[in-house]
Amino acid sequence: MEKTILVDHLVKNFEVTEKTPGLMGAFSTLFSPKKKVIHALKDISLSVGKGELVGFIGPNGAGKTTTLKILSGLLFPTAGVTQVLGFDPWERRTDFLKKISLVMGQKNQLWWDLPAIDTFELNRAIYEIPTRVYKESLDELVTLLDIGKLLNIQVRRLSLGQRMRLELVAALLHQPEILFLDEPTIGLDLVAQEKMRNFIYEYNRKHQATILLTSHNMDDLMDLARRVIVIDKGRIIFDGILEELVARFAKEKIIKVSLSKEDDLKKFDTIGKVKRVAFPEIVLSVPRTTVAVAASEILQNFPVEDLTIEEVAIEDIIRKVFRGEAPLRKRR
Amino acid sequence: MRKYLNVFKISFAQEFAYRLNFIMWRVRNVLQILVLFFLWTTVFSDQGRVIFGYDKAKILTYVFGVLIVRALVFSARAVDVAGEISKGDLTILLLKPINYFRYWLTRDFSSKVLNLGFAVVEIAILFPLLKPAIFLQTNGYSLLGFAISLTIAVLLFFTILMATNFVTFWAPQVGWGAQFFVIVVMSDFLAGSLFPLDILPAVVQKVLLFTPFPYLIFFPIQVYLGKLTGMAMWSGIAISLFWLAVLSILTNKIWRRGLLVYRAEGR
Repeated sequence: MEKTILVDHLVKNFEVTEKTPGLMGAFSTLFSPKKKVIHALKDISLSVGKGELVGFIGPNGAGKTTTLKILSGLLFPTAGVTQVLGFDPWERRTDFLKKISLVMGQKNQLWWDLPAIDTFELNRAIYEIPTRVYKESLDELVTLLDIGKLLNIQVRRLSLGQRMRLELVAALLHQPEILFLDEPTIGLDLVAQEKMRNFIYEYNRKHQATILLTSHNMDDLMDLARRVIVIDKGRIIFDGILEELVARFAKEKIIKVSLSKEDDLKKFDTIGKVKRVAFPEIVLSVPRTTVAVAASEILQNFPVEDLTIEEVAIEDIIRKVFRGEAPLRKRR
Repeated sequence: MRKYLNVFKISFAQEFAYRLNFIMWRVRNVLQILVLFFLWTTVFSDQGRVIFGYDKAKILTYVFGVLIVRALVFSARAVDVAGEISKGDLTILLLKPINYFRYWLTRDFSSKVLNLGFAVVEIAILFPLLKPAIFLQTNGYSLLGFAISLTIAVLLFFTILMATNFVTFWAPQVGWGAQFFVIVVMSDFLAGSLFPLDILPAVVQKVLLFTPFPYLIFFPIQVYLGKLTGMAMWSGIAISLFWLAVLSILTNKIWRRGLLVYRAEGR
């Protein structure tokens, strides 16, 4: 597969001045600033092929956004190699910038006091989009995102969801080959989230666009990303398809038991971790290695009507990843 | 080129979104001019009096010259650059295939056109009211020098302003303070907005003329008034061009260094 994005041993450090609280503290930082180095990215290597849709997940401050910012040429990498579409992003060449787009859920490019169409026209000029392409692009986006009525309204008067859709249009008019999405559904209501996701999926399919997205929204990842990259504390701890994430990170399995009559439920505590009791059903989580033993023990000691063994739900795994609790197993 | 034409258009539209702000800013300008006008009229109440080589007509021309030159040189949108950097909004422009300096120069230009338009209207109102005895330059040579020095002044101020705003890359909180210091204290005072600089002692003048500041306001007006011609005019233009070159290179360096530490914050 053609490689669109190549990252090799990428490192990014930030130097920050520590602020001591209070007035005296402010004074002392003024004269003897305490410098501290933050290691945002420690050693990131990855590659993404053309047309892939990849989800970046990890707890806050793990380095997801920093990676996107380096890939789009905003931040200067401390060490390592990055190549996007054959360009060094940091050089911010015109040809490179015309082929990418970075959408940040909390950063707006629309001119606040003017209708969105004005910003679109500006982008048409800046990206030197030919009239025909611009019209096509705009028509398509307007229909897909259902924003025809919003184009001529002052941006400040729109709701967040409406604005986000218009932001997306502004970012896509030049039909970028690579799309970096940072929390594209943040702050949106459920319906708007759904619209946004459908749209991202369609855009990826139709334009063969490579999309990297970070999100804290489980549905974004479940619906969109086949491949996920888990970053924690500046390192990649998983890179593969979503289902594999479960096999990799789930140290436990779930046993669901249905009892035919009441029994002393306390006894379950010795077998595994009781997660839910709703008589007659009991849900236990048991280490993978001992799941067979646990199941036979239950069958022998309890009046069991039904018993199933299941994988931990993907949601639960991702949730753990977001909390930074993902158990660190070695990568391949 | 089309890019920047569009930037000009949208920037112009944006200025109109804040009509009240803009009008207040113009009112401030008019008040300032009135204060200067009455001050100097009082000083020259004795007809035929000449101070520091200025008679009433020339000093009043100077005052009105300041109104116009100031509107052209000092009205700038690039004052927003500091805020843009510290809030991380710079990110938006960095992602676009557009030259950052030309972008802001264009936005400044749109602001200048608007301000000049208003300055013309204000003068049209003030002129018949105050009936100042104004000196109208007819010498093409002086007018050419005026046009050249004015263009340099605009670019010089832009460069100084950008460099000042870039301080924010390293010290996000001092942006406004730095601007206040540079614009109000150094540029306004040392540029000759408040009084013609040639009323200062000769030594101070000499020193000042080797700094970039007089070339923002004082120098173009002097050229217009015909007080500087020939060698004096061309050497002044040469010095200001020299400063423009030096400051442009320096500002560009600061910009590049700034980008290295830029953190694209704001979320």
